Amino acid sequence: MSDGATPLPKPSSSVKLVLLGEAAVGKAPNMTQSSLVMRFVNNDFQDNKEPTIGAAFLTQKCTLPTRTIKFEIWDTAGQERFASLAPMYYRNAQAALVVYDITKPASLIKAQHWVAELQRQASPGIVIALVGNKLDLVASAGSDGEEVEGEDARGVPAAQARSYAEEEGLLFFETSAKTGERVAEVFTAIAGAIPETQLKGPRGGQRVEERRVE
Amino acid sequence: MFSLQSLVQKAQQLIDPALLTPTESKPSKSSLFRLQFRLPDTQNPLHEITAELILSPHYTLRSTEAAFSDKDKERLQGNHYVGKLHLSEQYMCFSTQASSFLSTASASNSTSFTGQTHGTGPAGNGFTLPLCAIRRVERLNSQHALFALAITTSNGILDHAKAGPKVMPQKFTVQLAGSRQQCERFCDALKRGLRAGMKDVDNLRKVISQCYSEYHLAEDGKDAPAREAPDTGLGAVFKYPGDARKLRDKAKMRLWKEYMRENGRNATLIRQPTFHKLIRVGLPNRLRGEMWELSSGSFYLRLQNPGQYTETLSKHSGKESLAIDEIEKDLNRSLPEYPGFQSEEGIGRLRRVLTAYSWTNAEVGYCQAMNIVVAALLIYMSESQAFYILSVLCDNLLPGYYSTTMYGTLLDQRVFESLVEKTMPILWDHLHKSDVQLSVVSLPWFLSLYINSMPLVFAFRVLDVFFLEGPKVLFQIGLAILRINGEELLDAADDGSFISVLKTYFSRLDESAHPKSENPKLRAVTRFQELMVVAFKEFAGITHDTIVKQRAQHKEAVLENIESFAKRTSIRNLGPESKKLSLNDLGFLYDRFYGVLYERQQRMQMIQADSERRAKVGRGRLDIPGAPTENAEIGRVALSSNTTEMDYNAFREFLVEPERGSYFSSTRTRNIALSPWGSGPDPADDEFMRRLFRRWDADGDMLLTLQDVVVGFARVRAAGNMMENITYFFELYDDDGDGRVDRDGILKMSEALLFLGRRGVEGPEVVPGTPLSPSLTPGLPDERFLGAVSAFIRRCFEYADPEYAHNAAGTSNSDSAPPTSALQDFSIGDSDEDLLNLDPSSPKRPTTKSTPSTSSLSKSNTHSANAALDPAHPLSLSLGTFRMVILADEVLEHFFDTGLPGSFQLADGHGSSANLTTFKNLGRKVAPQQVVGGAGAGVVPPAKGLRGMLDGIVSDGMRVASEVRRRMEDAQRELDKVARPEEEEEEEEEEGRAADARSVREGDRELLEGAEAEGIDGEGEGKGVPEAGFVGMGVGCSGSKRGVCTPYV
Repeated sequence: MSDGATPLPKPSSSVKLVLLGEAAVGKAPNMTQSSLVMRFVNNDFQDNKEPTIGAAFLTQKCTLPTRTIKFEIWDTAGQERFASLAPMYYRNAQAALVVYDITKPASLIKAQHWVAELQRQASPGIVIALVGNKLDLVASAGSDGEEVEGEDARGVPAAQARSYAEEEGLLFFETSAKTGERVAEVFTAIAGAIPETQLKGPRGGQRVEERRVE
Repeated sequence: MFSLQSLVQKAQQLIDPALLTPTESKPSKSSLFRLQFRLPDTQNPLHEITAELILSPHYTLRSTEAAFSDKDKERLQGNHYVGKLHLSEQYMCFSTQASSFLSTASASNSTSFTGQTHGTGPAGNGFTLPLCAIRRVERLNSQHALFALAITTSNGILDHAKAGPKVMPQKFTVQLAGSRQQCERFCDALKRGLRAGMKDVDNLRKVISQCYSEYHLAEDGKDAPAREAPDTGLGAVFKYPGDARKLRDKAKMRLWKEYMRENGRNATLIRQPTFHKLIRVGLPNRLRGEMWELSSGSFYLRLQNPGQYTETLSKHSGKESLAIDEIEKDLNRSLPEYPGFQSEEGIGRLRRVLTAYSWTNAEVGYCQAMNIVVAALLIYMSESQAFYILSVLCDNLLPGYYSTTMYGTLLDQRVFESLVEKTMPILWDHLHKSDVQLSVVSLPWFLSLYINSMPLVFAFRVLDVFFLEGPKVLFQIGLAILRINGEELLDAADDGSFISVLKTYFSRLDESAHPKSENPKLRAVTRFQELMVVAFKEFAGITHDTIVKQRAQHKEAVLENIESFAKRTSIRNLGPESKKLSLNDLGFLYDRFYGVLYERQQRMQMIQADSERRAKVGRGRLDIPGAPTENAEIGRVALSSNTTEMDYNAFREFLVEPERGSYFSSTRTRNIALSPWGSGPDPADDEFMRRLFRRWDADGDMLLTLQDVVVGFARVRAAGNMMENITYFFELYDDDGDGRVDRDGILKMSEALLFLGRRGVEGPEVVPGTPLSPSLTPGLPDERFLGAVSAFIRRCFEYADPEYAHNAAGTSNSDSAPPTSALQDFSIGDSDEDLLNLDPSSPKRPTTKSTPSTSSLSKSNTHSANAALDPAHPLSLSLGTFRMVILADEVLEHFFDTGLPGSFQLADGHGSSANLTTFKNLGRKVAPQQVVGGAGAGVVPPAKGLRGMLDGIVSDGMRVASEVRRRMEDAQRELDKVARPEEEEEEEEEEGRAADARSVREGDRELLEGAEAEGIDGEGEGKGVPEAGFVGMGVGCSGSKRGVCTPYV
């Protein structure tokens, strides 16, 4: 699915993806939404030890049966005041990942605000995925944890978030960045949801890219 | 894609500054003066005079006097600089850069002349001398009306008294060029300043003792001071970044030593061309912190209050805050590659500096990226030095960068983009076509001053120049980076490859810029040196002035973007209650809320500035007060974090103050009168508003947030249920929450009903199916409502009697009869109205006329009401009774059904946002036949607004209310006389009754006149009051006399 080991990305359509979500609450790095990306990205580009200012930039390729998508991921800074910089990043993004913490209902509300913001302000046709992270903290997560609710840490019932996502036409997933559960799936689904036409966009088709690389 | 023409146009735009929109609000001269010399806010330009600074080449060896004696020869040897000499409260400054900060000093009549430097910072030659560092000023014998001063400073002798004699005093001459009078005046002021400066000498001594220069210059004296070297940052412990030999640190140090010996050190340093060159080649490690301090001006801040850092820390020791939490998270992410920040020592310093700053500037608090900047500073500076320089960064050098909206960051990104567009149109077009947004790449450059982008050694070189020359340096470097990498960037087609090109470039800054060159000299030039040359040569045209103008040009758009983002976000964050209101309404409330706060804040600032000015004038000073604020963000609608709550006065204004449409425009400060209420009338105070305020104040801190207001409105507007409205109203007056309202409460309720209802009830009064009767006399509704309210009081008193339960049948109680009359007058006067209204053909019957039926009717009630009026007789009105009383009266019932919620009218769907909040606008200019958006409420024509409308309502309402109250008090007084003999009472009463009746009617008359005028406006617009409604109402009224007896269940 993901094979971004090559230093020079092979020709592919690139998709700009922005990651939005409530600021991670001062935990180990694998608790943040950025860890979600870290899970996904074979970090061939950015050394994660570097402090990020504004947003971290990462890339990853995602191979679908019919095409290869190169994600250009902008992981926005978590501090509240950086929210006003967000338009800079979601502008022209073809996809957005809005992350919340399934143990914190307030983070879903925040996520809903971002969804509303994107729907109103981002480019039309943007593919939005709502992702509830920290599935590992919910005891029932193991096998088919989704529908088992009311257990320990879970604060947001999956059904509630899913019905919201359906209402708004969003992709919906619950993941664990810690265990990596279903993370790749999210990106594959996004890649699949991006219309073919979008890919022939202003960034040029594959052939143009190919020539440049050579 | 761009044509040659557009290129030419772009070039022209770049060349001709006149094409750029001028700043809309010029910074004050005081602030420019402070920026120019990087002085603290306490300093104002008091005097300025053209002068010549004469520095003998080796003043340490020669006496200036001798040099002066042979002027012509000296001119060949010494250095002479012509410029302006400025005097502020505590500083004497000299700069060769054209500058003028006094309105009187400018030949041009434009008060906006600001000098060429435009507050660029101390880039010219000259000095910034604290007056406390001047030891002696001698006036030299003047020939040919020349006015010369020989100045001796305390250079080198303050810190080590014993070393004093060995140091030749620093001495230089300033020759003033002006009329004798001007010179005298300047000298007098200087004399005063010097005297006042004496008290600062101790501070100066403390501050320079922490300067490495002081230590370094004394070090090689014969008796090397047996003391520790001052703290020069973590680098002294953990090594400074870079290879000292490669950086030629020792050589630089020697050069600086020589320079300082001749030109003074720290406080007494004189800037000559060599100074600027020494900074451009990079500062030596140990002097870096001190020179940053001097050129940024944080040195002067420290001099002003040397203990602030430690005091702040100890004052807040042990406290917690959001900023501290955020700081804690980032401590391990701040230059983690530098060894100093892998140790608790470095982390501790970083924590303390960031924390101390977050306490002194709570509005900024802590912003990510500050950690990186401060970490970098701490490598070269002590904690205290870093603390002050951070203040200067946030307040002056990078205004708005780290604020809660990061407005300055966004603005400068916009400016940067526009400069790229102008200077590199081809690259700009390419970026545009490849859909790469430049600012996502350049933002970290600016926000972290390149520290996070370039290898540290090079980032510090940029900082060296930045602190001296100001923010334009960031732009010059940024443009140079793009220019140098232009070719490769043109090949990059997405964010990834764009970033990759730059990343590679930064990592190779130490390599040769021309590795293949035959010329060894050229080969030796590094890429970083090339960058500096391109930045400061090729982009020399990017001056501070350019940046200032560009910022002014883009400011509005950037602010509007942030505002609309903040508004969207804020409205979405208002919680589920807010969903009861439309987006339009919410947007309207938002604008209104912050608009009122903003205007109030502006007014307060004006008032403060005015009073300060007055105070200064009173002291006979000639100070020019600074503008209230230079920070575009402070006070800006919804952008400033300190203005998110409104107190009661603001709430009043929020409800009533009607001026609109100017909150976001640039003219918003135009006509602000120096009154706390601005140019508008003082909004009426009212008990009801006060109660509403308290009710809406969810957390009881006597401040309303937007959320409080929205929830409050939503509750009132969207209840939709009459019974809920009644309950809500009742609860407003149930002070102790025991479900009962006492006598005072009842009176207050009645006042509120009058206040709210007299007009509020009119519009939607149309009883379905009832034909309109435009012939009805205007003003009737007032009378009718007045009647309803007085009936309300009467009934309340009647049924609120605790003993009422016992004689619930409505029989009179056994209280003494006589005092009834007073009340009767009251009730008759108004129930009179009720009856009058029964007859639509004679609505304007003389008021003094009282019909027998009235008397008899009210007579039956008065008995029970009497007891109620007795102050000794406690009253308590329960919610049930209150409901009953309301429901007994059709006018009131209707009021609670539609009038009350309708009183809180917001923007209508189609009415644009210009409709006025709050109490409904009726009578005056109801849009003819327009479909009414809200709950049967009139649409206010946008152009008209509600200006004056509500104030009118309020003051009218107040008048009525006070009239009612007065009469009630009269009645009370009458009651107090109960003890008196009955006959006497009776007589008096007859008179009093007539008089009372008359006065009431006169009071009403006034009101009616007002209403009439309005009614006339409204006439012909089909908004008449339905005749039949009145009849029905009247009937209902009289009929309800019985109905009341059956308590509503």
